[in-house]
Amino acid sequence: MEKFQKRIFYSLLLCLGFAQFSWSQILSGNVTDEQDVPLPGANVIIKETNTGVSSDFDGNFQITIEEGQILQISFIGYITQEILYTGQDQINIKLLSDNQLEEVVVTALGFKESRDKQGSTSSIISAQKVVNAGEATLANSLSGKASGLRISRSNGDPGAASTIRIRGANTIDGDSDPLIIVDGVPLNSDANYSGGNGITGGRTGGVSQNSRFDDINPNDIESIQILKGASAAALWGSRAANGVIVITTKSGSKGQAKITFKSTYSFDEVSERIPMQTTWGQGTSGKYNPAGVESWGDYIPDRSGAADEVNTSGQYFESYLGQRFYPITQKNSRETFVDSNWDAVFQTGTFFQNDFTISGGGEKNTYFFSLSNIGQEGIIRNTAYDRTNARLNYSAQLNEWLDFSAKSTYSYVYSNRAQQNSNTTGVMLGLLRTAPDFDARHYIGNYYSNSGQEFTRRQRSYRRYLGNNANPTYNNPLWAVNEQVSDSRVNRYTFTPQLTISPSDWLQFIARANVDTNEDKRVYFFPVGSAGDRVNGILQEDNIGNRDLNLDLIGKADFSLTDDINLSTTLGWSVNDRQYKRISGRITGFLVNSTKETTSLNTAAEASSYENFRTFRSSNRGYGILNFDFFDELFLNVSGGLEASSTIKGTFFYPAGDLAWNFIKKGESNVFSFAKMRASWGKVGVQPGVHKFETLAEGSFNYSTYSDLLNVDLFGGGFRLDNNLGNPDLKPEIKTEWEIGGDFRFLNDDLTFGFTYYDNKIEGILLDVTLSPSSGFATQYGNFGSMKNNGFEMDLGWNIIDKPDFSFNTSLNWSTNENEVTDLYGTDSIDLTGLSVSSRAIVGKPLGVLYGTGAQTNADGSYKLNENGFPQITSSPIVLGDPNADWRAGLSLDVRWKKFFLRTVIEHSQGGDFGPRTLYVLRRFGTTEETANRLTLSQDLVNYAGKVIPAGTTVRGNIEDFGNGNVLLDESWYRTGIGGGLGDNQLYNLSIYDATFTKVRELSLTYNLDSPRLNTATGLSNILFTLSGRNLININKVPGIDPETNITGVGNGFGLDYFTNPQTKSFLVTVSFNY
Amino acid sequence: MKNFRFLILSFLILTISCEKMVEGVNDNPNDISVADVETKLFLTGGLLANIQVQLGHLNRISGMYSGQLIGFSSLYSNIYGFNLSTAEANSTWNAVYVGVITNMRHVVNTATNPLLKGIAKVVEAHAVGTAASLFGDIPYSEAGNPEISDPKFDNQKEVYTSVIALLDEAIGILESATSASISEDIYFGGNKNKWITAAHTLKARFYLHQKDYSNAFSSAQKGISSPSDDMKYMPRGSTNVAEGDKNLFWMILEGSRAGDIGNSNGNLTSYHLQLLDQANSSSRNHAKTDETARFNYFKINSGGGSLNKGVIEQFESQNMVTYFETQLILAETAGRSGGVAAGLPYLNNVRAWLNSGAGVNDNFLNQSFKYLPFDASDFNSGGIENTDNVDSKTAFLREVIEERYVTGFGTHIPFNDARRLRKTDASFAVPYVLVNGQNPPYPERMPYADNELNSNENAPAEDPGIFLKTVVNQ
Repeated sequence: MEKFQKRIFYSLLLCLGFAQFSWSQILSGNVTDEQDVPLPGANVIIKETNTGVSSDFDGNFQITIEEGQILQISFIGYITQEILYTGQDQINIKLLSDNQLEEVVVTALGFKESRDKQGSTSSIISAQKVVNAGEATLANSLSGKASGLRISRSNGDPGAASTIRIRGANTIDGDSDPLIIVDGVPLNSDANYSGGNGITGGRTGGVSQNSRFDDINPNDIESIQILKGASAAALWGSRAANGVIVITTKSGSKGQAKITFKSTYSFDEVSERIPMQTTWGQGTSGKYNPAGVESWGDYIPDRSGAADEVNTSGQYFESYLGQRFYPITQKNSRETFVDSNWDAVFQTGTFFQNDFTISGGGEKNTYFFSLSNIGQEGIIRNTAYDRTNARLNYSAQLNEWLDFSAKSTYSYVYSNRAQQNSNTTGVMLGLLRTAPDFDARHYIGNYYSNSGQEFTRRQRSYRRYLGNNANPTYNNPLWAVNEQVSDSRVNRYTFTPQLTISPSDWLQFIARANVDTNEDKRVYFFPVGSAGDRVNGILQEDNIGNRDLNLDLIGKADFSLTDDINLSTTLGWSVNDRQYKRISGRITGFLVNSTKETTSLNTAAEASSYENFRTFRSSNRGYGILNFDFFDELFLNVSGGLEASSTIKGTFFYPAGDLAWNFIKKGESNVFSFAKMRASWGKVGVQPGVHKFETLAEGSFNYSTYSDLLNVDLFGGGFRLDNNLGNPDLKPEIKTEWEIGGDFRFLNDDLTFGFTYYDNKIEGILLDVTLSPSSGFATQYGNFGSMKNNGFEMDLGWNIIDKPDFSFNTSLNWSTNENEVTDLYGTDSIDLTGLSVSSRAIVGKPLGVLYGTGAQTNADGSYKLNENGFPQITSSPIVLGDPNADWRAGLSLDVRWKKFFLRTVIEHSQGGDFGPRTLYVLRRFGTTEETANRLTLSQDLVNYAGKVIPAGTTVRGNIEDFGNGNVLLDESWYRTGIGGGLGDNQLYNLSIYDATFTKVRELSLTYNLDSPRLNTATGLSNILFTLSGRNLININKVPGIDPETNITGVGNGFGLDYFTNPQTKSFLVTVSFNY
Repeated sequence: MKNFRFLILSFLILTISCEKMVEGVNDNPNDISVADVETKLFLTGGLLANIQVQLGHLNRISGMYSGQLIGFSSLYSNIYGFNLSTAEANSTWNAVYVGVITNMRHVVNTATNPLLKGIAKVVEAHAVGTAASLFGDIPYSEAGNPEISDPKFDNQKEVYTSVIALLDEAIGILESATSASISEDIYFGGNKNKWITAAHTLKARFYLHQKDYSNAFSSAQKGISSPSDDMKYMPRGSTNVAEGDKNLFWMILEGSRAGDIGNSNGNLTSYHLQLLDQANSSSRNHAKTDETARFNYFKINSGGGSLNKGVIEQFESQNMVTYFETQLILAETAGRSGGVAAGLPYLNNVRAWLNSGAGVNDNFLNQSFKYLPFDASDFNSGGIENTDNVDSKTAFLREVIEERYVTGFGTHIPFNDARRLRKTDASFAVPYVLVNGQNPPYPERMPYADNELNSNENAPAEDPGIFLKTVVNQ
């Protein structure tokens, strides 16, 4: 115990920076491989002491040593050497490569095993690749790096969660994110959209939310593995259907303390911008109207150019910048403000990230400590993401048979987000609908009425240019940016202690526990004068708490059944308990027009509301694994888990098995250095939603038919039978998957190739089916669907050149996934997003198809036109497109030349459809360049209203031929007809674009400064300077919108945008100091 | 191998009682069990759902299709152009079946107080009758039973028959009940007599829809006999709370839908307003009638809810089942059988009521209005209500229907009358036009809810369209 305390004290000292690095008497050495290539980072320790160092970039080291001591030199992939020190000054050590070296995988339980013996496939992403991505959040740094893995960031908001999907869709209503296992225990990785986010529409309105996955500090990661198939994940039973991401965090290695310090500065810009028009004024029918909704007004160059004529006799608005605005009687000014309005909203975003790690260890213990902070300012002014992480991983060998380790982390995450999407308080909605001749910068001020009455803190929007009404209808984007608050503060702790007992060399017991708690305090503040029903002010605070507990007891034993058959068995028992609580308080309607976020704004009882919401779930599983090894050539792995979960009726058994046959092993062939065929089969599940067994009495409900909500709470409260009919027979959704594949290595392992074909069916999919409302209930949650996926994955790696001064290697991953919803138990479609174009589950179609009204077509696919030659609306919604990509690929290139490293990751997504509804609805508003065309007709043309416009007329519009000759698309088409986009009855098939994109995710150049002089002068082993770009090149076919954008954030619906905040591209500078 | 067996044994011990550990964890900690909630607490929700059935989105659409309202922009301009999709009916359809039927039947099944049972039945009949009038054939005989997942669609006439029978049942139960102060009854506060007279007026309305004028007359005679017994939606709450308990039309315009719908915009005024407008050639003003106050009261400023002081003012109540409707049913049905003399007293009752200032709210009482009683001679050839020399009965019925059209603003009366009278009684139907909108033929029904069409195997494969005449109007 005393020794243990000493270790902790020692570790603390190191953390605080008091550690001393000094030595008096020195042995100099050099470590190389067989080809005399220096091995940097080799561990050099003196056996049975705490002394150790690691070699620098040139393989050099210096260490204090006494005669008779034993020097131990180790390096991963090489055979460890022990040398008795006999008093010499200089030693050259040549490590022999370990022929038995096998790539190691970490299983779902956290055990390291040989990759070559696995019958199921997984992708490994190295720590280097994660950190090198230069992304502020972990999820985004995985983009393009593994086959079958899709990371989609839904917008460029700082800290916004991204969708992570492995091998396509596995569920319709359930959680589609993979299970995250960190050091053997599941981690809460939710993105929570509940609470006050609903004030402005939740997922489809609201703000971006963080994912708790991104609380992980990328610098702490040793390796990431993507377990894609059912068999590899089966041990996690009903949580594993979406695949498992296994993360192993760093631990210290024996020897001298290693210190690294790294700083990164990033500049972020809006990656794409919708082209806006500057030639047509606010108003309709060619006439200017300063309060008009749309910009179908006068031709701006036709204005006189003089100052506007105004009426100064009565009402006016005085902006906070001092400028007065009077009622306009004659619009003369030609000034437009598209760029200045944009610049008032957007800025060059930045982040500044500092990472510090210190690690090391003695003979019997190791430690790893890290401290990291990233402070980000978004491209939208006032948006921010600030994350601080601390981690201490400690492990100790307490005695011959007992090991102890403990991993603990703390994270603090602050973020402020901007309102977005289908939401009249949103930034983009207000900005892009604003008329080009309206100056949005004077967004706040005082309004003086005709009678001289003063109204302070009035919002001035383009539809209320005098601020003469408290409700701006749509927010001025600057009000959204400067006056509204949507912030979040997260405190999170995780603690993972583990005891490993090894009573004999064939038997091991592990007891592993984990507690993961986090608290997210969110504030939503809409001051008086915000758009829509926030006009009288709303303040909401949400206090969201999660507490996850996990306990695993595992026994592992190895047996030799015969000389050639070995068996390894693992038996385990796991308990998991998760609690979630949300406490929300809200004040609606402020008596005081103030920006102080306090409940004192209205103390009347009816102005405030309080809500608590909790969920509890627990499960426990017993599981067993048998690994057979026949003749060191054939490997059979059989596992089964029996699970009981609170959300499920009864217990469920999850079996899995896989087989690997290493038919060519190293040395057996000159060309082939290794070949393996593998096959696997398994079942995994998705847990039902919590607390869904009974039909309960629901309070706090409302009835609305169209923006006319009646809230029962305002009528004295009351209850109804929940619209959702309870279901006491819920089962897990079961995915059964098989896969076959092979892994091959050629040319002394320089060329690697792996492929996998998988096929799965998912049955009993959990979803809310729409019941016939006439049955008395709107929906029922249950096992009501089925779906299937199949796909092909390929990974190729090639170390083309590997010389001391020059190396060049490349890797390519490629994958397809075909999905089809096969049954929804009588329901035609399930809406995944809402909105007038929705992403849906429809039987016979891939999950997520885009659905809305469109043009009627003839049997041959041509438009069914009306007598004027225009398309006609379908009476019901139709399938408009499929957002699923045909295939995806990621290409990495790593080049090292002397001390320079050049790295790039390119991601390509081929095919699929995207519905940029923003573009479409803006046609109605007439603010985009698309609607600004001005032409003189050379022939008589009919417009949508049926009017013939004679040749020679100069009009605003475009000429189009829908199949029956040219027609004129003018205001009657875009604004009042069916060629704009608002509501349910528009030609939405004209707003569907090809979603193909190519992105250069990363491009970086690093210089390694590691001269001996540097080392002598500063003690530093090297300094790395890196310049990198993120998403700098982005090729797609949608004008001004990134097709990865997703209005619903992390969810199952995708392929749509609607005034979603834009994406970013970045440029980074990094300096990394390594001691 | 001994060790191996030992491991298997310990595994078995560990996995036993897996299920026990998680028992009860899934009991919902947030919502309350149905059995724990007192029955009367289910009433308010059903009444709110019924308000949406009577006064919500489909009511505004029926107003547009009968010349009362104009859709200016966004969704309502599409719908005004007869682009009405099945999705628009979802919320109203849900309010009928899930909001009203499920919860009112729960009240009927669990209430011990007959007053609650009677109220619940009237509310169900009100909602279902309105649904039958709007959609035509609808599920009813098999509706509201979760055991039947695909209820069949009943003939519209059968639904009316069932609904009238339900009202009779309700009246019987209410007559045996005693009034009690029930705050959950946001219509009548537990006053059984008001419920009974409203039930009779509803019967009269549903007979009228079926052109059964004699039964309509006899039911209306027992119907609402005093304006103070009107069933209305009464907004409430704080002026600071913009959403949730205000005039429905006010909420539409106060939120993000400002400018989308109304009845006047510059030179455009709805046919309804034109009737009231002194300056318009269709004006109904004359020596005995001055509509100045009502013209201004009914005029909506669609620029925002708060710009309005009249019919859509924040706290302005909205009519559902009223005295004037009852009197005008009596006037029409009596007039049909007994001519001007039989019907006139009822029409004059309404005029007397209007002449007391009841047609407008306090903000318009300072403007001029006049509704002098008519004499029978006013309907004779050359009389002030018969300048085009039609027969006096037609002239009388024309005035009654026009009064229903004008006063019935905001209810389904104008739409229902238009469809009922179009074929056989065009001579006294209101000859409205859709200003700046589509020409006839005008819609004859509302589309079925998308959700019902998608989920119910007994639903038609496709909605039959908004121009199909429902059974009673064929």
